[in-house]
Amino acid sequence: MKISLEFVSNRMLESMGDDEKLKFILKNVKESKILVLEKGLTRQEERRLFQRTMEQISKSFPGIEISSFGEEPEGLRSRLIQILGGKTQGITIVGPSNLVKEIKRDPDKLRVLAELK
Amino acid sequence: MPFRRFIDWLRRLFWRRKLIRLGFYGAPNAGKTSLANRISMDWLGEPVGKVSEVPHETRMVQKKEHVVVRSKGKELDMNLLDMPGIATKVDYRDFSAYGLRKSESLKRAKEATKGVIEAIKWLENVDAALVVMDSTQDPFTQVNITILGNLEARKIPVIIVANKIDSKKSRVNKVREAFPQHVVVEVSALTGQNINKLYEAIAKHAR
Repeated sequence: MKISLEFVSNRMLESMGDDEKLKFILKNVKESKILVLEKGLTRQEERRLFQRTMEQISKSFPGIEISSFGEEPEGLRSRLIQILGGKTQGITIVGPSNLVKEIKRDPDKLRVLAELK
Repeated sequence: MPFRRFIDWLRRLFWRRKLIRLGFYGAPNAGKTSLANRISMDWLGEPVGKVSEVPHETRMVQKKEHVVVRSKGKELDMNLLDMPGIATKVDYRDFSAYGLRKSESLKRAKEATKGVIEAIKWLENVDAALVVMDSTQDPFTQVNITILGNLEARKIPVIIVANKIDSKKSRVNKVREAFPQHVVVEVSALTGQNINKLYEAIAKHAR
């Protein structure tokens, strides 16, 4: 089995509406891809993604592993940085749980543990 | 919604006590139902729900109404809302390790996904929340972070409950280090250890 790791640019994510973004993520994850989103999801988007994931659970799709890292894009500090023309550094990694066994995180690093069957 | 705000305003105007909807949030098997049972038994003499080592035992929101908690001269009238555990995956095969047949596992998994959705929807409808974490496990999970982030965004008062301190593997400091901006109370829902400190924190923060 091959692992496909895809980096999704901020530009692409911003061109999508909220719904479209979640559909895009789940479609790709269900195709056994691990996505690295250049612009991390907000906590509200994560919540909606959890909900959408649950709606689509099946025998072949048991769910997702996800971790967001760094500055939350909707935090006050992030907004201020964005207003001043800067870029915040939050990213989100999301993959299918039958492939990504665990995403361990601490404040300074993320470690993705995948298992091939 | 303006109508709900108006009703809440009328309630506050004519009722002496405000009724607080206290949500129990966390990952599956963190001990939410054990804690809700402990509180409900202490103040009402009735349990809220059934406890099991099999994940996703609570698959619907369980409610216990008018639980009045008193601590240090303060009194709170609460509806306890024991939520299904929030997860990002539900694999029916995981249940077979607990002796469930395939058909039972599939049924449980389906009900569990509905329970997670219900718990997520309720995030918008609680007045205060206890986010229960198993202190023997790594607390810095996306589920915990997302729950806390959504409660914070709605300015809902939160108390983190570091549960299972009766276990030798309990590491409460990890919970405190992971979420230094929140009130953390360490308890054992199983033995009742430190439960009075939780009542003090509820009386102080859940208003």
